[in-house]
Amino acid sequence: MLEFDGLHKSFGDVRVLEGVGFGVAPGSMFGFCGSNGAGKTTTMRIAMGLVRADAGEVRWQGRPLDQATRRRVGYMPEERGLYPKMKVGEQVAYFGKLHGLGAAAAAKASDEWLERLGLGARRGDAVEKLSLGNQQRVQLAAALVSRPEVLILDEPFSGLDPIGVDSLAEALLDQARAGVPVVFSSHQLDLVERLCDSVGILARGRMVATGTVEELRRREAGRLLRVVTPDPASSWAGALPGVRVVSDRAGDALLELDAGTDDQSVLAAALRTGRVEHFAWQQPTLVELFRGAVAAPAAEEVAA
Amino acid sequence: MTETRDPSSAGLVRLVAAREVATRIRDKSFIISSVVILVLIVGVMVFQVLVGSGDEERRVGLVGGDAALTAALEAQGEALEVEVAVVDLDDEAAARTAVDDEDVDAALLAGSDPELLVLDSADGTLEAIVNGAVAQLAIAEQLAEAGVAELAVPEVTVTATDADAAADQQRVIAAIFGVVILYSLLILFGQFIAQGVVEEKASRVVELLLATMRPWQLLAGKIIGLGVLALGQMVLIGAVAVGAALAFDVVEVPGDLIGTVGIVIAWFLLGYAWYAAVFAVAASLVSRQEDLATVLMPTSAVLIVAFVIGIQAAGDPDGALARITSLVPGLSPLVMPVRQAAGDVPLWELGLAVVLMVVAIGLVVRLGGRIYAGALLRTGGKLKMREALAAERV
Repeated sequence: MLEFDGLHKSFGDVRVLEGVGFGVAPGSMFGFCGSNGAGKTTTMRIAMGLVRADAGEVRWQGRPLDQATRRRVGYMPEERGLYPKMKVGEQVAYFGKLHGLGAAAAAKASDEWLERLGLGARRGDAVEKLSLGNQQRVQLAAALVSRPEVLILDEPFSGLDPIGVDSLAEALLDQARAGVPVVFSSHQLDLVERLCDSVGILARGRMVATGTVEELRRREAGRLLRVVTPDPASSWAGALPGVRVVSDRAGDALLELDAGTDDQSVLAAALRTGRVEHFAWQQPTLVELFRGAVAAPAAEEVAA
Repeated sequence: MTETRDPSSAGLVRLVAAREVATRIRDKSFIISSVVILVLIVGVMVFQVLVGSGDEERRVGLVGGDAALTAALEAQGEALEVEVAVVDLDDEAAARTAVDDEDVDAALLAGSDPELLVLDSADGTLEAIVNGAVAQLAIAEQLAEAGVAELAVPEVTVTATDADAAADQQRVIAAIFGVVILYSLLILFGQFIAQGVVEEKASRVVELLLATMRPWQLLAGKIIGLGVLALGQMVLIGAVAVGAALAFDVVEVPGDLIGTVGIVIAWFLLGYAWYAAVFAVAASLVSRQEDLATVLMPTSAVLIVAFVIGIQAAGDPDGALARITSLVPGLSPLVMPVRQAAGDVPLWELGLAVVLMVVAIGLVVRLGGRIYAGALLRTGGKLKMREALAAERV
């Protein structure tokens, strides 16, 4: 388990993190969302020892991350960094060695990863000669070359074209399948929704929501049911016990059900009006959840 | 699930150092600068040999002289440390032609009323030689006529008060030479270090590096890696210089020369450690190569001042300026080797200079290391040293 626990950080008078905490199980992918400046990068930098937390710690397998255990973490910083004039293959091997691989193992792993990421032919070129997308792949290879036990990636998808996004997503899913906990931050919420087992939304220095996308939906949206009946008797639903009509436009009704109300009885009532074209629990998109969570006042914050 | 092991501190420093060496050794500007320095040294030696052998010979044409006059001319030349070649000429016409054609520097028409033919004006040395020779012969002749066969002239005994003066001189020249090279290499490698630091900051690769190592390990690796290269270059230059000096016969005492080269190399190590650390720390305050010159300026200025004093110290090795500056950390690496070569430096002064320099290196590494650590992740404009100290992380 990778645990972020009660992280606090202030830069001068600006309180950036006020108790950020979440956990990522081995083999699962965690999407880290939040508006710009919410503190995602600071959280990740604390995990990598680049920023010192005022309080709290990050643990891997129950032990706080330190200089030695961080070597088993693959990291991709938000501001990409590679030596521009160094050759691709040597560069990836160098990061392998810094993470503790022997020279021969590092060279071998570097070749393997570059081959896998489609850069085999470019391994002798200087990094600055590569396109931005390819540089991003080298960056990923540098993060993966030492077969890390944990992956922490800051905005790994930014600046990639759709095909690049797909191949990166595939590489990350491979890692998760191999049992590596993967944390990445992103503004591409559709991507997070598609890839991640669980999601955390950071706002105002706190996690305002954490859980699987499914859990968030239920928690954030309550029990909203959308029923479309093309030829309704007026306000057929209003009379049902335990049901509140949120909106009703020309037969397209959004109903909120009390906890004890049986949705099947609602369906039965709907069927009595005639045809039912649509009957489903409302699925808010992650974007909607995100807007709701980020906009919500502090008092309503949901504990992790 | 991994075959990794934890690299030790020394292992990390070695990795960084090895990368620096591997990168630099393939760098064109490094190769070119190395070759230029070596070519310059050999060139200076060759120039010395050419100038040294060409200037000192005077050719004197002689009309109507005898063997005694020739011998006297050569003897006079020897006394004035000038090699005199005497060319016998047939008559005055031949002498005039020889002078006009610059076959000879001057032509002496011997006789009771001797005349010296020169192209435009006789140089003082030549005039002295000819006058001396003619006068000597005339006196000998008149004495013989007066019946004085043997003249009891007391011979002056020459006692050298500073028998090592010549050797001292050679050592000083070697030391000046050494200081010039030391200065050039300090500037060159200081620049390399500074550029490397800014490159890592500008490309943001430093964030990845610091996720695996501590700032001091990165700093130490850079300084040691480039230091190995710099030392290698210094030793190579020293070897080529000594070899060339011996081959061209520029020096007479190889032992002294090698000793001086050793002293210069030892001071280079101390100077390098200090300047490299200062340059690295200064460079860590900026994020763009364009801003580098501004932050390096103060240190470069100190280096230039040290260089000028070092050269000056060759002329006045025991003057107050040289004595004081040879103790000041930062200045001492460029002044002390000259003083050591030129004369006797009391052991306590040498010891004090070394101790002060080592202390200064320790201070720069400690304090500078903190500034460096605080500044590395701060990108943007130019950072103030105070801010960097406050931002220190681990």
